[in-house]
Amino acid sequence: MFVSFFYSLRDRGIPVTPTSFLRLQRALRLGVIRSLNNFYVVARSLLVKSERWFDIYDQVFAHHFEGVELPDLDEIELSEMAKLLLDEWLKNPEGVAAALGVNEEDLQKLTPEELEQYFLDRLKDQTEAHHGGSKWIGTGGTSPVGHSGVHPGGMRVGGVSQNKSATKVALDRRYRDYSQEGPLTQSQMGEALKKLRRMVPAGPLDVVNVDKTIYKTMKNAGEIEIIFDRRLADRLKVILMIDNGGWSMDPYIPLVQTLFDYSRNQFKDLKTYFFHNTIYDRVWADAARYRNSELLTDFTKKDPDTRIVIVGDASMAPYELMNEGGSIYFGERARNASMENLQFLSQTFRHCVWLNPTPRYEWSGTWTIDQIRRIFPMFELTLDGLDGAVSHLISRN
Amino acid sequence: MVHEDFYKFQGADKYVLDEELAEIVNVSMALEMPLLLKGEPGTGKTMLAYAIAESLNMPLIVLNVKSSMKLVDALYQYDTLTRLNDSRFADSSRDVSNIEDYLKMGKIGQAFVSDVRVVLLIDEIDKADTDFQDDMLDVLDQMEFDIMEVDKTISAENRPVIIITSNAKKDLSDPFLGRCNFHHIAFPGEDVMHRIIGVHFPDLKKEITDACIRTFYGLRKLEGIEKKPATRELINWIRALKADPDFKLSLLEKGNVPYLGVLYKKSPDLKVASNAIGKNRQ
Repeated sequence: MFVSFFYSLRDRGIPVTPTSFLRLQRALRLGVIRSLNNFYVVARSLLVKSERWFDIYDQVFAHHFEGVELPDLDEIELSEMAKLLLDEWLKNPEGVAAALGVNEEDLQKLTPEELEQYFLDRLKDQTEAHHGGSKWIGTGGTSPVGHSGVHPGGMRVGGVSQNKSATKVALDRRYRDYSQEGPLTQSQMGEALKKLRRMVPAGPLDVVNVDKTIYKTMKNAGEIEIIFDRRLADRLKVILMIDNGGWSMDPYIPLVQTLFDYSRNQFKDLKTYFFHNTIYDRVWADAARYRNSELLTDFTKKDPDTRIVIVGDASMAPYELMNEGGSIYFGERARNASMENLQFLSQTFRHCVWLNPTPRYEWSGTWTIDQIRRIFPMFELTLDGLDGAVSHLISRN
Repeated sequence: MVHEDFYKFQGADKYVLDEELAEIVNVSMALEMPLLLKGEPGTGKTMLAYAIAESLNMPLIVLNVKSSMKLVDALYQYDTLTRLNDSRFADSSRDVSNIEDYLKMGKIGQAFVSDVRVVLLIDEIDKADTDFQDDMLDVLDQMEFDIMEVDKTISAENRPVIIITSNAKKDLSDPFLGRCNFHHIAFPGEDVMHRIIGVHFPDLKKEITDACIRTFYGLRKLEGIEKKPATRELINWIRALKADPDFKLSLLEKGNVPYLGVLYKKSPDLKVASNAIGKNRQ
C-alpha cells in the first residue's frame, strides 16, 4: 500500500527508511488511521524525521493524493546548467572581445555590481540561444570576464588565482570535498592538534574512586577515608571554519586538508563550516557550499564557550570585507559588511583564532590581513603557529 | 486491534492542543513508540507531557537530561558510599551483605518498575551526547536493562508512554530518529494564541488580550534577538501586567511596553528590544 508514495518521497530527497514505512503499514493495520487527513499527519510523524523536510512532504503528498503538479527544480538546475555551460566555454579560449562584439575598454570601467549585471545578462542570452555558439568567455585575456588575466577588477571564471583579487568567482567546483580524502603527510600537525584534545576544563572533585577509597580505608584500619577524583569534563566544542572555495586558497589546500583530516578525530564535538574568502550572512556545512547553509545570526544560539578556529588566507579585495553586499556570489546580497560579521563572531565567542596558511612575512603586504588581525588573533598554519593558537584557545579569558 | 488508550487523549485543562498533535500522540501510544517533539523553546513541548499525564490520569516521571549524564544514572544508582559507611558503623537497618539494599532506581528505572502505566518525559535529550541517546533508545526499545552489580534484569511491567523533547537545531542520529515518532511544534499563530491566552486568563478583557498579542507578535519580529519571547514569556508578561495596578491599555497602544524584562531574558536582547521600542515612540 502506498508504495509509490514512499518512492516519490525518496525521489524528492527525504530520507525515508523501509522500517518506518513498515511501521506505517502497521499503523494502518491497527485501524489507527481513519481519514486522509489522519493519514497525512500519521504518515508524516512516522516517515519524516525533521521539520526540514515537511515542506517537501507536503508537496509530494498533495501531488500524490490530490494531483497537484510538482514544481520543477528549475532555479537550481538553471544555475547549475549555467555553471556547466561556463565550464564548456572555458575549454574554447579564443578571441573573446571579438566574439562579444563589444568595446573592452567600456567594460573595464564597470563597477563590480554593473559587471555582475552585465555578466548575468550575457549568461541569459547564452542560455537562451546557445547551441555550441559564440565563445565570449575565455581565459588569459584582458577581458573582464576571463581568468588569470590582469584586469584588476575582473571577474574570474576558474583557474588558479595569481593576483588574489578577482571580484566575482562565477564558476565553482562543488564536488571537491576536502573533508573526505587526502593522505596525511605532516604528522606533526596532528601532534599540535592533540593539544586541543588535552584542553580539558577540569571538573569538580566529586567522583568517588572506590578502589582507592577501599585501599585507603584498609590502610587506616577501617577508618573510612574517601578519595575523590576529578570529574572528566572533556566537553570541548570546536567549530572549524574553512575557506575552501577560493582559487586563492588552492595552493594551500594540501595543508588545510591535513589539518582537517586530523581534527576530525581530535575533538569530542566538532562542527565544520565552509566559506569563501570571508564570512557573510551564512556559512555552509558541506564543502561544496551549496546544500546546507546556516545563518550566522543563528550562531548566537551556540554555546559561547565553543572554540572557533578559522582557517583562511584572509586575502581578498578590500571591498569584499568592508562593503555591504560585498559578497562575490550572484544572488547573495549580504546584509552586513563582512567585517561586521567577523566582529560579531569574535564578540559572541570568547575563544577565536584565525589560522593563516600564508607565511607571516607576507602578511603585512595584504591590507585585508591587517584588518582581520585587528579582530582575530592570527597564527601561521605551522607547528609553531598552531602552538600559539592552541595556547590562546586554552587560556581562560 | 485498537489499543485501549486510543482516542483517549483530548487535551487537558491548561493545554491547548491542536488536532494534529493529538493524533500524533494517540498514534504513538498505539504503536508503542516514543514521541520525539522538537520546536522553539517555550512552545509547550514539556507541557505536553504534563497534559498527557493529567488527561490520561497517569503519574508523570520526568528525566531532565544533563550534559554530563550517563545512561546508567538514568537507570539505577549503586550507592557505594552508604554501603561503605554502613559496613564501618553498622548502625542502619540495611543489610550490608545485600547489595540490593543499596540500589536506587533512576528515572527510567522508576518508570519500569512502577505498578501502573506512567508517562515518562525525557526532557532536552539534545543536551546529552549521541552515545547516551542511542543507548537509551536500546533500553526503551527492549523495555529492560541489566543491573550489573547483582546480575539482575529489570523489565518494564507496563510500557510507559514516552515523550522526548529536543531543542536542538541539529538532527539527532538516524537510528535514534528511526525509532521515534517525530513531530515539530510550530510556533502558534495569532488565532491559536488567542485560544491559549483564553485558557490561561479566562476573565481577561478582549481588548487587552488583543493588544497584548499584537504587541507580542510585533516584538517577535525584531531582528538580532538571541532568544525570542515565546508562549511562556507571553503568559508571564500578561500575568505581570495584570498584577500592576498602574497598567492602562492606552500605554500599550502608544507603543510603551512595560516589563520588557519578562519577555527578554538576556541582557543584549533586552537592549535591542528597548532601543527598537524607543525608536517607535519618537
